[in-house]
Amino acid sequence: MCAALTGPRVAAAQEAPYFVAYSHHLEEPGNLEIEMNSIYGVQHAGNDFIAPWIEFEYGAKAWWTTEFYLDWQGTFNDSALFTGFRWENRFRPLLHEHWINPVLYVEYENTTAADKTMIEVVGFDSQADHAVPNSRAQKEHLHELETKLILSSDYKGWNISENFIAEKNLGPDPWEFGYAVGASRPLRLAVTPESCNFCRENFLLGAEVYGGLGTSWNFTQAGTSHYAAPVVAWQLPSGVTFRASPGFGLNSNSHPFILRWSVSYEIDRFAHRVRNLFR
Amino acid sequence: MTRRSRSGLLLLALTFVAVGSASERETDDRGVLLAIAQAPLKTRSWHNPYEGQPDAVLAGKKLFLQHCAECHGPQARGIGRAVNLHLSAVQNATPGELEWFLRNGNLWRGMPSWSGLPEQRRWQLVAYLKSFRR
Repeated sequence: MCAALTGPRVAAAQEAPYFVAYSHHLEEPGNLEIEMNSIYGVQHAGNDFIAPWIEFEYGAKAWWTTEFYLDWQGTFNDSALFTGFRWENRFRPLLHEHWINPVLYVEYENTTAADKTMIEVVGFDSQADHAVPNSRAQKEHLHELETKLILSSDYKGWNISENFIAEKNLGPDPWEFGYAVGASRPLRLAVTPESCNFCRENFLLGAEVYGGLGTSWNFTQAGTSHYAAPVVAWQLPSGVTFRASPGFGLNSNSHPFILRWSVSYEIDRFAHRVRNLFR
Repeated sequence: MTRRSRSGLLLLALTFVAVGSASERETDDRGVLLAIAQAPLKTRSWHNPYEGQPDAVLAGKKLFLQHCAECHGPQARGIGRAVNLHLSAVQNATPGELEWFLRNGNLWRGMPSWSGLPEQRRWQLVAYLKSFRR
């Protein structure tokens, strides 16, 4: 069954290498990308942690990508636990390319306060939040609606993306805001005629900066955390992509160091393959 | 529902299907698919920097197999709604129009935008597509 689903394939994604920022490039319609991600965080006054998450990203239409996440975390000298799920949707409202291309993003999150995936930073998120013992943090359930305005441009091989994040706990809490900015470029713009794994065209390099912007009651850059992180991606012709990103906290509210890594695999014409299984 | 109204509905449905298919495959007076021909006029004068370079055709073929063959087929003969790229309705387009179309796609009809590929790679793809004509 797995062989029928993943069978011979040659599709390759054209996504930017960021972990936090989004570009306007959506999943190709009908393709499913399965991505295993992890983050290792160095914790001030507490235990370091590793938080893995898995993403299922599906191109529902050429203008609509939908994605489902499952999150876990393990904290050294504490415990490991499942921390929730997320369902996100990204829409391209303009059907042609422009200098700046907007994408609208809507996500529902059902997680606990023990979630440490740090897929985004909003409000007054601080490294101290992650020092709370799992036994206490997992009792706090979060039902949140997250929206993003993604603005992204491609110029001479570079992708430049700016995201503005607005997140609302489905309760009395105020809106929380955040930002992410990224820039990236392939090491070589044209490709060589030969198939190769280690040639420069398969590598993308870039950097992203992200952090919180306070809340609707107090819109500010102070008192929250900010990070700067170089990113690298290695896209193999087989459709497997590896990514890594060491991140550095820019103030005392941030983790001093985080390391993210991921491996993803793209299955082309996934819906077609599923239908064929039942014929 | 009477037989007459059923026949009327069937006729209406068939008309919608016929009009839908026709609008996807309609061409302009040069015989170019309208989806491609909507490219701005200036694109018709754009020159492929890789024109006449055999290596670019091979590189374009590699890109085609990685990104396009899943819908258009490995021989580019088309699968389902994805058009046969050997058709004159595609081959009559100028290299600039094809590059523009690759960059923009036809999102509403299922053709993704390939703006995430650097411009050089899109031109290599155009070099490969244009090699079908020989």
